[in-house]
Amino acid sequence: MDLTPLHEVEAPNEMRRRVHRRRRWSVLVIAAVLIFAMAFITAQGLRNATLFFRNVDEAVEQRSELGERRFRIQGRVIPSSVKSESGLTTFEIVHNCVVASVLHSSDPPELFSSPWIPVVLEGHWVDGEVETVAGIDTHYFSSDRMLVKHTNEYASANEKRITDEPPEGFLDQCSFEVPAAAS
Amino acid sequence: MSEVATVVAGWGITFVLLATYSMWVVLRGKNIGQELGIGEIQDSDPGKDAGATTDS
Amino acid sequence: MTAAANSGAKMTATPITRVLGVSALAATALMAVLGLVVSPPDVIQGEAVRMLYIHVPSIWIAYGGFALTSISSILFLRRSRRRPDQGRHYDRLAGSAAEVGVVFTAITLITGMLWGKVTWGTYWQWDARLTTTVLLFVTYLGYLALRRLPAEPTVRSRRAAVMALISFINVPIVHYSVDWWRTLHQKASLSVGRRPEITGEMYWTLLYSMLAVTILATWLIIHRYRVIRLEELRDEEGLEALIASRLNKAVGSH
Repeated sequence: MDLTPLHEVEAPNEMRRRVHRRRRWSVLVIAAVLIFAMAFITAQGLRNATLFFRNVDEAVEQRSELGERRFRIQGRVIPSSVKSESGLTTFEIVHNCVVASVLHSSDPPELFSSPWIPVVLEGHWVDGEVETVAGIDTHYFSSDRMLVKHTNEYASANEKRITDEPPEGFLDQCSFEVPAAAS
Repeated sequence: MSEVATVVAGWGITFVLLATYSMWVVLRGKNIGQELGIGEIQDSDPGKDAGATTDS
Repeated sequence: MTAAANSGAKMTATPITRVLGVSALAATALMAVLGLVVSPPDVIQGEAVRMLYIHVPSIWIAYGGFALTSISSILFLRRSRRRPDQGRHYDRLAGSAAEVGVVFTAITLITGMLWGKVTWGTYWQWDARLTTTVLLFVTYLGYLALRRLPAEPTVRSRRAAVMALISFINVPIVHYSVDWWRTLHQKASLSVGRRPEITGEMYWTLLYSMLAVTILATWLIIHRYRVIRLEELRDEEGLEALIASRLNKAVGSH
């Protein structure tokens, strides 16, 4: 600490300045880091948050305008449609009674095995043939990233069993019937 | 990470973080109080000036 | 976690806070038993559902802490001139509640990331809920940094109070982000006016966990308030001593 004598009247203000000056730089550095972090988060958020995914019905409707563009699609996995072969998984997802075929190329998360689980897939539309359980489809969604979108419903495993039944009311308005999964 | 490992990690980190923060708060109060020569605070109402009383 | 409160660290403890500290310790121990042992696994998520009992109460405390910060800041701005302590009490309350809120926001983020990895299959996604929550965390870190910025105490408290009110705008945005935007994050587990979609034992364990964490947070806020008071006393005393010593030097050298 500087012990140079100071004028009696100037001393208090000078002291305060010295005490404050030491902390000022560290706080300014922290503030700069925080401002940068906020700007980064906002930019990331604006880019992704507003339209995090398209539901299956919307994505099918916008198929031609989406072309090969990468986006996220959301729908529930039809349990009877899942087929895995040499690292590739084919299945169908449904939302608002619209079904899309999916060819997925990475390891699905563990909860993917739950019937009718909602998933968010990252990838793009492909004009081409894919063999699904239901037959040959001429369009499919090629995905390389899968996120499971679990709901806010919680039920005791002691009281409830997992069944292949679709969630209550989910397919009520649909004109098609979903075949039961081969057990 | 398995479900059980995740639960252990989540609860473990939470408890360690809260214990560390609680200790920091209590010890900081103790250290500053000793620096100032202030004893146990008599006032139990945080709405009043809690640190203003001394027993030394 | 509250053992230190009862181990001879007496400076910020009072009989009431000791009782509160012991209650917090007992309540969190029982919370661990209920959350980790007694409550059943979820039919889909299995054991991972146990993250619910720390994740949801943590953000509840964060919301509550930031709400307390805002109310205290409004009271500071409206009443500081009329109070003999110039509103320092409200300022301390705002600061301590914000700090505890930040700690619990950090816990929310950490537990959410771990939970996300086993359920979603990823630690992080920039969806609306996660983005606004991390923004909430950073904003209140900024608030705490502002409180440490050197300035006249009244000026600093006034700046902090204004920032607290601006920062609070994000709290309802975080809460309703799952309703306003499409998110990977599920809808709120507990919401006013909406039937909880959680079965019996899990629901009661969640409600109990919220109570236990609230007791702990109350204890923390009271102690942190008192530590802020001590910090103020030390700063005032330190400054006075420094000024006195420098004045003596100055007088002695003449």
